[in-house]
Amino acid sequence: MIKLLNISKIYHPDVAALKDVNLHIKPGEFISIVGQSGTGKTTMVKILTGEERASSGKVLVGGWDITNIGQREVPWLRRQIGVIFQDFKLLPKKNLRENVSFALEVCGNTPTKIGSIVPQVMKIVGLEDKQGRYPHEVSGGEQQRAAIARALVHRPKILLADEPTGNLDSINANEIIELLLRINRFGTTVVLVTHNREVVNKLKRRVITLDNGVIVSDQEVGKYIL
Amino acid sequence: MVFLSFLRIIKFSFQDIYRNIWLSIVTITILILALFSINLLLAVRVISETAISAVKDKIDVSLYLKPDAADEEIMALKGQVSNLSQVKEVNYISKAQALEFFQEKNKDNPEILQALQELGKNPLTPSLVITPKSAEVANELIGELNKIESDLIESQNFSDNQLLLDKINSLTDKINEIGMIISLIFIFSTLLVVYNAVRVEIYTHREEIGIMRLVGASNSFVHMPFLLSSLIYTLIGTVAAVFIFYPFLSLLQPYLANFFAGYNINVISYFSSNFIKIFGLEFLAVALINALASWMAVRRYSKV
Repeated sequence: MIKLLNISKIYHPDVAALKDVNLHIKPGEFISIVGQSGTGKTTMVKILTGEERASSGKVLVGGWDITNIGQREVPWLRRQIGVIFQDFKLLPKKNLRENVSFALEVCGNTPTKIGSIVPQVMKIVGLEDKQGRYPHEVSGGEQQRAAIARALVHRPKILLADEPTGNLDSINANEIIELLLRINRFGTTVVLVTHNREVVNKLKRRVITLDNGVIVSDQEVGKYIL
Repeated sequence: MVFLSFLRIIKFSFQDIYRNIWLSIVTITILILALFSINLLLAVRVISETAISAVKDKIDVSLYLKPDAADEEIMALKGQVSNLSQVKEVNYISKAQALEFFQEKNKDNPEILQALQELGKNPLTPSLVITPKSAEVANELIGELNKIESDLIESQNFSDNQLLLDKINSLTDKINEIGMIISLIFIFSTLLVVYNAVRVEIYTHREEIGIMRLVGASNSFVHMPFLLSSLIYTLIGTVAAVFIFYPFLSLLQPYLANFFAGYNINVISYFSSNFIKIFGLEFLAVALINALASWMAVRRYSKV
């Protein structure tokens, strides 16, 4: 599903965020990428979403070579990869349903299609009763659920979660991880980028450990080792 | 789907304008000022061209002939003058016609008419009034007329309209230069103001733009609302300029008509008969400038 072949990302001649990274993520996998701050985790997410280009190497997503993806193709890539972030990135002046609908609206979907997809994803994330609420009226966990719902509207094959539990307490964090596991069971490949030791250790899934831009460990049933 | 996207782009565009209403008002005001100055410049051109053509029409040369000249000789001289390449037409004014014109001209001056009556005879001479083909060949014509050696010619009167014409031309050129500089300043300000307006709009919407990009909105969908906003500014600015400029012309017209009494000068009808050409071209030009400013701002600042 995702292949990183000898990927390096160099910002300045003496600052390399990623160094010769090789990674193969199979379809339907649930993989955690861990490491301390500044080890290149977010750079990897940015390369996978087309926000950054690798300085060298090759990036394949679902067989599509996105190494030198053009600006015009980036929107198509982002419709195939759902992304969620630590800060949820919800629009404060739109309610949760509108936030989710917005993702379909800006991609030119019809009101009928929006009306059919949005309730489904809201149900999957367990927000069917809170669709009319605004982000400030719900908890952080619920905001992250709304962000997940928004990421799911394009039925992506890959869900990238960049520190999704970073702003949440442990109860909400566990609920979000449970939700990601459920989405993974539907067949979606989930890439969880985190430095939350507790979450990673509890998952008992594949763990990639990055340190200083280099993969230092790749365990099938891994633990947070740093 | 394209139609739906277009409707949404219009919706987002109006949201942009509404959410930055003061900035929108400032942008439109600058646009109106720019268009007003351009139209004012155009009106000045129309007025000056009318004045110049009025002066040009008045340029003529008179040959005063001896009072006892025979009609056949006068006609022969008229024919000779008419054959000159610089001549448009030659009018013969007989002694009787000259008296008639004199009396008409001085009808409000009884003292002169009384003096004429006391004289008991027609003291005026017949003349040939020669109109040149254009003001530019007037001096050349005078040169040619000076070469004619005829006993019939008593005197010549070459009205010095060329000097007046030069003065008007120079004044018009100066007005045009100043107007052009003012217009360029306004056009440049418009470019900067629209650029800044779009930049602020983008800043206001940076979160929304970021999310649009995150969820896969196409580049055109992200850019189009800002381009459309600039076109809406242009449309409102042009329409407002029309609504402001016409009352201004209505106020100006009576003064012009009074100043150019006897000449057909009507700036309102000029603007009305060339409405589409003037305001349509202005709309297109300003739209192009605004679209350029928006495009530059969007390219530079929408990479949220």
